[in-house]
Amino acid sequence: MIANRGEIALRINRACQELGVLTVAIFSEADRDSLHVRQADEAFCVGPGPAGRSYLNIPNIISTALITHCDAIHPGYGFLAENARFAEICSDHGLTFIGPEPRVIALMGDKATAKKVVREAGVPTTPGTDVLRSLEEAYEAAASIGYPILLKATAGGGGRGMRVVEEPNELQRAYAGATAESEASFKDGRLYVEKLIRTPRHIEVQVLGDEFGNVVHLGERDCSIQKPAHQKIVEETPAPNLLPAIRASLHEMALRVCRHVGYTNAGTLEFLAAGDDVYFMEMNTRIQVEHPVTEMVYNIDLVKEQIRIASGEPLGYRQSDLAGRGHAIECRINAEDVRNHFAPAAGTVSKLVFPGGPGIRVDTHLYAGATIPPYYDSMIAKVIAYGDTREIAIARMERALSETVIEGVQTTIDLCMEILAAPAFRNGRYDVEFLSNELALR
Amino acid sequence: MSAHLAYVGIGTNAGDRAENVSRALCGLRGVGTLLARSSTYRTAPWGRLDQAEFFNAVVSLETELSPHDLLDALHAIERRLGRTAGERWGPRIIDLDLLLYDDLTIVDERLQVPHERLAERAFVLVPLAELDHRFAAMRDALPPSELAGVTRVEREGGTVMSSELSSAVSGRVRALADFLSSGDAVRVRIEHGGDEIELARRRQHVDRPRRANDRAVAGAATLRFDTIKADLVGIFNLSRPAPSEGETFDGDRELAYIEALGIRTPVHSMGAGRLVSISATDGAPVEYGQPLFSIART
Repeated sequence: MIANRGEIALRINRACQELGVLTVAIFSEADRDSLHVRQADEAFCVGPGPAGRSYLNIPNIISTALITHCDAIHPGYGFLAENARFAEICSDHGLTFIGPEPRVIALMGDKATAKKVVREAGVPTTPGTDVLRSLEEAYEAAASIGYPILLKATAGGGGRGMRVVEEPNELQRAYAGATAESEASFKDGRLYVEKLIRTPRHIEVQVLGDEFGNVVHLGERDCSIQKPAHQKIVEETPAPNLLPAIRASLHEMALRVCRHVGYTNAGTLEFLAAGDDVYFMEMNTRIQVEHPVTEMVYNIDLVKEQIRIASGEPLGYRQSDLAGRGHAIECRINAEDVRNHFAPAAGTVSKLVFPGGPGIRVDTHLYAGATIPPYYDSMIAKVIAYGDTREIAIARMERALSETVIEGVQTTIDLCMEILAAPAFRNGRYDVEFLSNELALR
Repeated sequence: MSAHLAYVGIGTNAGDRAENVSRALCGLRGVGTLLARSSTYRTAPWGRLDQAEFFNAVVSLETELSPHDLLDALHAIERRLGRTAGERWGPRIIDLDLLLYDDLTIVDERLQVPHERLAERAFVLVPLAELDHRFAAMRDALPPSELAGVTRVEREGGTVMSSELSSAVSGRVRALADFLSSGDAVRVRIEHGGDEIELARRRQHVDRPRRANDRAVAGAATLRFDTIKADLVGIFNLSRPAPSEGETFDGDRELAYIEALGIRTPVHSMGAGRLVSISATDGAPVEYGQPLFSIART
């Protein structure tokens, strides 16, 4: 069963077809005419449009899997992909959840426990403290970590109760302000200190582990080009201008964490890199949106590997057998109004032309006449360009995007073109502030 | 949710046109209850003349969908029918137009109701007037040359001998006949499994005096149909004693239950009425939103 929608549901269906595995799609009433419904061998409606009542409706999804005699459930990304309880319910009903064990999902899904486990494995996380008991403790902690620091609310979220402190003389005021704000917002004024990493790069490492303790990495991806709220928009592999020693260390740290927690199936470890320093940020215990760039460079079908691993097969290759070749870039095309804070744009696609030619791959569920429902993620297509070198990949991507026509909804195509044309992107020297600094967006 | 009366125009000029019309009717049954359909008319192509003749018809249906949702549903049916086997992205072979919706006037960027060219098109007015006499005068006001371009397609007469019917089907036909004679509906069509049964009463034109704003279709106002749908995924089982088509109940009746993950969730009639049809198969899986029962309320 494919417990997802959109392009990733199609992606999983393709892998299953090639493996000779029959598929059952689930869909909401809003997705009745969606491509993933038509391409699966069977399809079941599991609820109305809103995801909470359909793609997150665990009883209906499990009931469908049992009625249709499914052996396994691929959760894709988003929805139930990192829900340890869902993984557990699957196994209670004799269904294989295609992903790591529920124990590992729970462990790595909680940011605090994940950081603790990662530190146990000897991998650095952003330096920080436990809950502060006084302003004096804040002074001590800040001095030992080194300015600039962040004061953060333990109950915090969305930037509330958070203060940047550049120098010691700002600390007292920031402490009072953050305490009051977090008290007012969350009825919990407790704070902790974390090192402020300035203009970091977001670099992540793809891993695969089988049930026999074999773990390999498939290189890194640079995902520093992000919209507000850390949503990625352009990703590439290998990361440009990354010192060989840092690259090797990231790969090695990712493998160390996986061995430490007994990681199986596909996963991604996200790191912040600033100068010579790298810090573990979080782990995604699932397939990522941007997995195709890795597939292009390593010539490996990650979704097929997920299914093989879940069916108990060993990896069949060692780290030394793997070598990336060439360069790949992905641009996410979202139905969004870029100039209006990336507001999602629902609508009907009146005209559609996708690019082709050497080195171009398009993963999408779109077709001319398709309606984009308002309930779900706004991503409508991924365009991936491959080349022997980064320059060739960029040239192909520019060519591909200029061929692309999507009418009826606003998209991020023009934004992607601007990103590709920006000097900081061209010379491969960009960080997570790229969009606000280079394109004055955010 | 309240029921609304909508008129939908059907047009096709590619492929097997009679088949397209009946497939469109089949699709429309998913968006509401069909109350009546006009004869099918053959029309010389409108606008471009280098095309095949059109087949046109109009249906009235009772729907709970809002005008815009209905429009979306019509587009969805068009898309579905436009993709024939072998040629997935083939030409559009069906046009569904929302002509009228209750007495509403709607003009926005997506929709214009009553349909903008309603008054000028013979191929819409002729079948529409067949269903609703309010449009007869408008039809008769069209130039005779226009009207001459629209001719009725003779329906292939299909009299099925009752001996050819399985007992299950003939039982259902009897239930339908009962139902037809009890109400004011002129035509009833039911799908069950692979079977499709359509019964029509010979139309007797009894022109009742009408007020100008009278609801259109004869008798439609006295009958309301409810479709009871599955609200979870599971195995559908009829309750015992099993309900039968044609059965009437004075109050609420448990008709079936859906079994999922070891839990039985009952399906109720939601009040009194007459069971018109059972749409799901006893012991078979049902998906969310699947029609289970059609119930006529009197």
